Parts: sequence; structure tokens; C-alpha cells
Amino acid sequence: MTKFLAPKHIVVYADDDADDIELVEDAFKRYATNVEVITFKDASQALSYLKNQTDLDPLPCLIILDINMPLMDGKEALMRLRQLQRYEATPVVLFTTSSLPLDKDFARRYEAGFITKPLGYEQMELITKEFINHCTEETQKKIRRIN
Amino acid sequence: MMTLYDFTLLPDRDKINLLYEQGVYIGKRKTGNTSIILYQFEGFYAEVFYRTYRRHIETISCFAETTRLDPYLTEINVEHLV
Repeated sequence: MTKFLAPKHIVVYADDDADDIELVEDAFKRYATNVEVITFKDASQALSYLKNQTDLDPLPCLIILDINMPLMDGKEALMRLRQLQRYEATPVVLFTTSSLPLDKDFARRYEAGFITKPLGYEQMELITKEFINHCTEETQKKIRRIN
Repeated sequence: MMTLYDFTLLPDRDKINLLYEQGVYIGKRKTGNTSIILYQFEGFYAEVFYRTYRRHIETISCFAETTRLDPYLTEINVEHLV
């Protein structure tokens, strides 16, 4: 009997900090059977990857953007993403060291989530759940069912 | 307003929550295998020393002197401003 594996849910993450990339990859490891995290060192690389996707490619279930990055910051990337029809409703989270109300308001204006980077293990556990909570309900169910 | 002394008396969990909710991230540095993140809170600074980055905290060190900020200044990338 041939078994067909369901395609993995794609999470796109852009951050210039290698340690934070490792942190998020680790956080999603428990969902590795059905979630793939694709990482980029800056937002412009992530944006160009997303722009080059065709309608045949699966939509990412979540896009995570750091705010402070060289070349293009996460806020600009978010603005540009929302101008693209394909990504106008894709769940996006700004994942940042900032806790400024100004940045939170910006995220809200562009219908994105806002999560401050954690200080400790317990916070990271909660944040991983919060990341998944930003996906559509259907995706959340699929991700959690398997794990 | 919380003083540096008041802050040092808090349990680590409360320190972490306060820094997470109200601290301002200043920068990050590494010495050996230890990652250190600097936050500014109220009128002082707090360095969080990690055994595992953003997961396992070794210690939290608080200070008010700006001379201790020097190691972070070299980490700030101003290339894009030039």
C-alpha cells in the first residue's frame, strides 16, 4: 500500500539574529512532522521568496517577522505583504525585542500579531502556543492533532 | 518608581516578568558560551546571563553605571547609517 504524506504547513521566519532563528526552529521541533520552518536572514529575502511563490505553491500558515533588521525591517515587509493579494490575509506575527505601544499599534493596523521575544523558558513555551494560535483554526487543529 | 535595590530583592521570576513587560531591550553580547542580554528598566540596567539563549537563565545582574554599557556599544552596527 502506498502512503501519501500530507504536505507540511509552512512557517516563514525572517530574523537577522541567528540565535533567535535557532530558538524558533527549536520551538517548532515538536511539530516537525507537519510544520516546516523556512528561515531568512532579512526581510527582503523573505519577501522575494514569498513574491516568487506561485498559486501552485502552498500558502504559508504563518509568517513571523523580526522588526529590527538591516536592509528592510519587519514593519516595511509587513506593509508590502499586505499590498500583495496573495498575502493580504495570511497570518503574520511581528516577533521582536520591542514592547513599544507604537509597534503594537502598527501590528494591529496591518492585522498582524505582536509578540515580544521571551526572556525565559516558560515564556518561550507560551509563545510557541501563541504562534500557532495565530494560524487559521483549521491549521491549528491539524498541527495539534498530530502532536 | 522601583529602585535598583527594590528590584534586586525580587525573586528571579518577578524580575523576568517585569523586564519582559516593561523593560527596554538595549543589546546582546556573548562571552564564551554565555549569551547576555541587556535591558533598561526604570532608572537602571539589568543584564540577563543565559546558559541557553533565552531559555535557561544563569543570573540577572543589575547596575546603574553607564560604563558597564561599553561592551554593548561595540555590538551596535552603524554600517547602514554611514
